[in-house]
Amino acid sequence: QQIQEEMNKQFFDNLVSFLRRSHSEFQEKATEWTCRMKSREIPAAALVLGVNVTDHDLTFKSLTEVIQNNITPYVTSLQAKDCPGIKNLMQKLMGQLMNCYVDADSSDEEDCAQISQNRVRCSMTSLINWYENITKKTDSETPSRKRTSSRHLQSPPVVVIFKDMESFTTKVLQDFIVISSQHIHELPLILIFGIATSPMIIHSLLPHSVSSLLCIELFQSLSCKEHLSTIIDKLLLTTRFAFKLSEKVLQVLINIFLYHDFSVQNFIKGFQLCIVEHFYSQPLSVLCCQLLEAKKRVNSLSHSQCENIRRLPSFRRYVESQESEKQIALLTSDNSLKEAVQKLLEDLHIYHENYVPVLKCLHVFTSSLPKYPLGKQIRELHCACLESRVWETEDYESSLQLARMLNKSDLVTMLQKCVEIFVSSSGKEFDKVVEKLKDFLAQFEKLEGACQEQEESIPSQKELQKKTDLYHLQKTLLELKESRRSKKLTKFEMLRFEVVDFIDSLVRNYLVPADHKTLHEIMYFNTASALREHLNAAPRIALHTALNNPYCYLKNQALKSDGGSISNKAPDICIAYKLHLECGRLINLVDWLEAFSTVVTAVEGPNGDAAVSDQVDDIIHARFIRAVSELELLGFIKPSKQKTDHVARLTWGSC
Amino acid sequence: LLNKKMKEDKMSNLVEEYFEAHSSSKVLTSDRTLQKLQKRRLNQETLRDLLKKAPLPFAAEIKELNQQHESLFSKWMLQLHLGFNIVLYGLGSKRDLLEKFRTSMLQDSVHLVVNGYFPSITVRSILNSITEEVLEHTGTFRSPLDQLEFILKRFKEDSSLELYVLLHNLDSQMLRGERSQQILAQLSSLPSIYLIASIDHINAPLMWDQAKQSLYNWLWYETTTFSPYVEETSYENSLLVQQSGSLALSSLTHVLRSLTPNARGIFRLLAQYQLENKDNPSYPGLSFQDFYQQCREAFLVNSDLTLRAQLTEFRDHKLIRTKRGADGVEYLLIPVDDSTLTDFLEKEDEDG
Repeated sequence: QQIQEEMNKQFFDNLVSFLRRSHSEFQEKATEWTCRMKSREIPAAALVLGVNVTDHDLTFKSLTEVIQNNITPYVTSLQAKDCPGIKNLMQKLMGQLMNCYVDADSSDEEDCAQISQNRVRCSMTSLINWYENITKKTDSETPSRKRTSSRHLQSPPVVVIFKDMESFTTKVLQDFIVISSQHIHELPLILIFGIATSPMIIHSLLPHSVSSLLCIELFQSLSCKEHLSTIIDKLLLTTRFAFKLSEKVLQVLINIFLYHDFSVQNFIKGFQLCIVEHFYSQPLSVLCCQLLEAKKRVNSLSHSQCENIRRLPSFRRYVESQESEKQIALLTSDNSLKEAVQKLLEDLHIYHENYVPVLKCLHVFTSSLPKYPLGKQIRELHCACLESRVWETEDYESSLQLARMLNKSDLVTMLQKCVEIFVSSSGKEFDKVVEKLKDFLAQFEKLEGACQEQEESIPSQKELQKKTDLYHLQKTLLELKESRRSKKLTKFEMLRFEVVDFIDSLVRNYLVPADHKTLHEIMYFNTASALREHLNAAPRIALHTALNNPYCYLKNQALKSDGGSISNKAPDICIAYKLHLECGRLINLVDWLEAFSTVVTAVEGPNGDAAVSDQVDDIIHARFIRAVSELELLGFIKPSKQKTDHVARLTWGSC
Repeated sequence: LLNKKMKEDKMSNLVEEYFEAHSSSKVLTSDRTLQKLQKRRLNQETLRDLLKKAPLPFAAEIKELNQQHESLFSKWMLQLHLGFNIVLYGLGSKRDLLEKFRTSMLQDSVHLVVNGYFPSITVRSILNSITEEVLEHTGTFRSPLDQLEFILKRFKEDSSLELYVLLHNLDSQMLRGERSQQILAQLSSLPSIYLIASIDHINAPLMWDQAKQSLYNWLWYETTTFSPYVEETSYENSLLVQQSGSLALSSLTHVLRSLTPNARGIFRLLAQYQLENKDNPSYPGLSFQDFYQQCREAFLVNSDLTLRAQLTEFRDHKLIRTKRGADGVEYLLIPVDDSTLTDFLEKEDEDG
């Protein structure tokens, strides 16, 4: 548990700081603009934030902080759910402003008393009075006080943030804008709108007469896809965290992100769930930490934990590949096992260290190819590498062929990038690689010189040809072409092949999928189904299978049936459900009841005694009532007024 | 690719099925009604008694299912503490399961059980029980939002406060509304409030938009139990169960027995008139003037005033309803379905 919390904390710190940074540029623009604005209209900033509403809170929080630190202490943010009417809006605004003020200089007790009094009556005039009061106060304060407020402008503006513009009622928003435009001279207001869809919404929400009172400037925030790729880069493609995701899990998370909500926060939530599940279910996850720590923990493993290791499929594969003597030692003695495990963990660690730079290097090559056979984003490449041996796929083959046709300047820049990547990476084995790459670069430079000579010679030839007739020109051009081809095949092409082959060999050496590594189970979380179940559940499908095919849940032989037919021994509700599936939009209750009792009595068998059958009838009737009311509770049917004793079906087809 | 195509086929099938079901306004069902079925309507109690007699099938398998779910309890606790909230879905009542969770895991901690299926539950009552019993605060709040704010503040200030909320049927009629869901979502987003809820309705997830979902921070667990919804459906007014709210034959005769013969005659007259017009969908009811005329002709009343007094008495017993038509005239109607009315008249004839 402790490890978990540790991990969580690390992740979150990392993420929050990252999000801050990614927003900072955007915020700086916004704040700079707020400083500048001082006109007769109400200045308004429209922030186009994208549809991932859940992530916006963090943006606004940091924006508020920045504004508070740099421009004005008076920042309020309003949410649509707090402001159903203009009165609530004013109240909220006042309350927050005065609290802000108290926060900014929490000194006087009397102020607080005043504020609580004021809170009862909240009107624009009282707001203006209050504003004049403080501005006066800040003006006439002692120097020590002034220094603190001198950070801000002489008369600091009041910033109002509307967090979710779309969900405000039009009337409230319009009224507020009109009212505040009347008082813009006494009360310098600045409005900031958070927009999830597109800036068109301003014009559809506000009529011309109102929007002409605003002076709007548009700001675009980073798209959420970019956030995702940076997060993946920061979280998954580093060696800092021992915990890794397998390909399927990552695919599920990315799919939820791309096809459902675009929410970075949900992605993080999913990631968090992965961590929890991994540490909860996998007994060997204690070893999932940094290498030194892991080695210590290996030494203190108990016997049962050692047995757990022996049971891992990847470890078994490893054992089978060893010699018989060593096999025995590994399977019987804990000490030799621990030694081996330590070595294997080290291997795994080195593998991770090498994996990332090589992956990035490959990405540099593939991301510039036309049509992106291996994907545009590094996450796609990462998934492909984790899924199987990447060099066996068709896409890889075609991308290599494309790479062999690259022109020189591209190739050189790519090589330079690769060198940078390898130099900055911590892996020890890359000295040789870097050397080799640098060697390539040097050769290219040499080539460049040769090429230049060529190029010089070609134009001179051309100039010569200019004055001759057409026939000669054609002929010489053909010759030229041929000669060029033959020349190219020489040095540059050879070198290019060499480079590509070298990259290929790198890939083959270092990008082995993690599944093929021994002891990968410790680091990699790979039960994607659990993740899908808990994050992206489908309650309707569960209900349908339970009703349609109860055998899935109740393992009784009597319930086994080939799809479609009604097993008459099934629970009542299943029988009622099956019968209701056969109906159209309306269902006659009497007929339904009759069909139900026919099915059910078939189980009980014919009963001779009239009195007893009456009793049975009553019980069946009661069971039918129960089944129907349960279906009503589940939302499959509802009572209908169209015809007496009918119910309306709310689903259609056979589900 | 094949898979995708199959999926597409399935989708288009679904769409076609929808239009098939809703294409014609004509409904092909038989006209039989429960009334004609010679069987007394069951009331709530007899229903329960009868159901007790019927044995529950597959008890062993259901028990096994429940044991599977119970093995998850400690995992739930861990995940609740990590800031997730848990929602249970699947067929069957999850009441007993949650109850078991409560008795086995939450004995020593502060917890609140909310019966969502209870028809008079409101968010306000949930908030009240938190403020009054958990926070021991005696005071009233202007609005639920204020109350919520107070709770949020208290929980943020005092980190030692912890509260488990077990919510049966989050999707019930009363808690379905947007506002109540918003408040519950905000409550559940507090790190020291652990929410574990169950849903049953097939369209329950439609209640939550993205913002609410992120506040709830759900982890979904499928807990199909197959156990009957005893408590949950006891409040559901089924068509087949005798309803206390609407007028039934027995109560009709009971009330009319205690009236004078003339009053009974007045009611009969109205009933007959309504039955004569039962096939006319635009029949607005009998206007007061016409009714007065007919009553006079049958020597049932002798003045405008007595008829009005009589009608007031009927209205007090909810035997009639008045409706003002487009022309401003009052029309009289009996708010009982036609079949009950026919039965009533037949019985009256027998008695008379």
